[in-house]
Amino acid sequence: MKRSLQQLPRICVISSGKESLCCGSLALRLASSLSGLPPVIFQLREKHLETKTLSALALRLKPLLSSSSSLFMVNERTDVALAAGAAGVHLPESSCPADSIRRIFPEMLVGKSVHSLESAIEAEKTGVDYLLYGPVYATPSKERFGPAQGLDALERICRSVSMPVFAVGGITPQRAYACIENGAYGIAAITAFLDSGSMPEIMEHFQSILLQ
Amino acid sequence: MNPLPRRFLCVITGENRCPVELASMALAGGADMIQLRKKNAAGRELFGWAIRIQELCREQGAVFIINDRVDIALAMQADGVHLGQNDLPVEAARSVLGPEAVIGISVSTLSEATSASRNGASYLGLGHIFPTGSKVKSGSSLGTETIRNIAGSVRLPVLAIGGITAENASEVILAGASGIAVIAAVSGAENPEKAARQLVRQIRQGRLP
Repeated sequence: MKRSLQQLPRICVISSGKESLCCGSLALRLASSLSGLPPVIFQLREKHLETKTLSALALRLKPLLSSSSSLFMVNERTDVALAAGAAGVHLPESSCPADSIRRIFPEMLVGKSVHSLESAIEAEKTGVDYLLYGPVYATPSKERFGPAQGLDALERICRSVSMPVFAVGGITPQRAYACIENGAYGIAAITAFLDSGSMPEIMEHFQSILLQ
Repeated sequence: MNPLPRRFLCVITGENRCPVELASMALAGGADMIQLRKKNAAGRELFGWAIRIQELCREQGAVFIINDRVDIALAMQADGVHLGQNDLPVEAARSVLGPEAVIGISVSTLSEATSASRNGASYLGLGHIFPTGSKVKSGSSLGTETIRNIAGSVRLPVLAIGGITAENASEVILAGASGIAVIAAVSGAENPEKAARQLVRQIRQGRLP
């Protein structure tokens, strides 16, 4: 399917970043818990893994995510995404330029994380398909992303670019509504989806807010 | 197609100098291949260096490859990559980079060498040959006898790595290596250009010291 014809899901589930080196059980459990639910964007983001392990994990995730029609994105590693047949690549703010990938793989979905208005505007010029902006709220992983940016900053970003913006950082179903009110297309989270046992309820909760 | 020259010198960028400066000096000294290797650099940084080193290599007719990061090699269309045993598997790298790409892989045993050859590698990075301080390595050094064994059993160019200097380079070539790869011997040298030139002289002569 051409990427331009896809309707992007409004929920982006990001893997825990705490995957064990051997078996990849966390991400596999997370992906399995999505089956039978409405499609989401699933981002495999396990920066500490060696590429061989990451690639093997991506290959095992692919069929699980296909069964729920979710879009499988791999963080930064275009090579791993291609080798696993993922829908695309999600670039961190400090990645290689998105247009270098877009030029060679026009059908790939390319997402990008940004942490400032300047980066968002720059990203739009390089032809990315959607943005993750944050942290909107304080998050346990905040030292990695800097301090909370708040809803006003989110609103400014959403007004300044024409592509979908997903709010990330400290997102809960309660906060998702405020993000949408401030122009976000959707939300992205790690922590909110950690309890894969209650995924249907969590998803239902988010969906009811995002689709109202 | 295999653009690897006979008896070639591959210079790997170290952690201490700017990789572009080092590449420029190594190429001036006659290096045939540059491998960009910076383990903890961000993608954007690697991409920027890679574009500039690739340009320098093109001017000199040298080959440019990137360590581990097949994604960066794809994005800026490097000549190829060098993979470790824990990086993207060779067959996956081959499938995403295409038949023309130079794909090297680090090996230390005959069984790794045979499997690399079966899976579409372009050359073998065999090491470490001599004791070295550049990388934290497990196991003892292989010595030149292993070069003889592997070069005699696998039909891929063997690039010897690990503790190679101007003093032992010709010994390595005479044992059957197609080339040598160095980190410290050039990147750690006071004058990298001169260090590269001495190595090139030694491997092209190929006489025992």
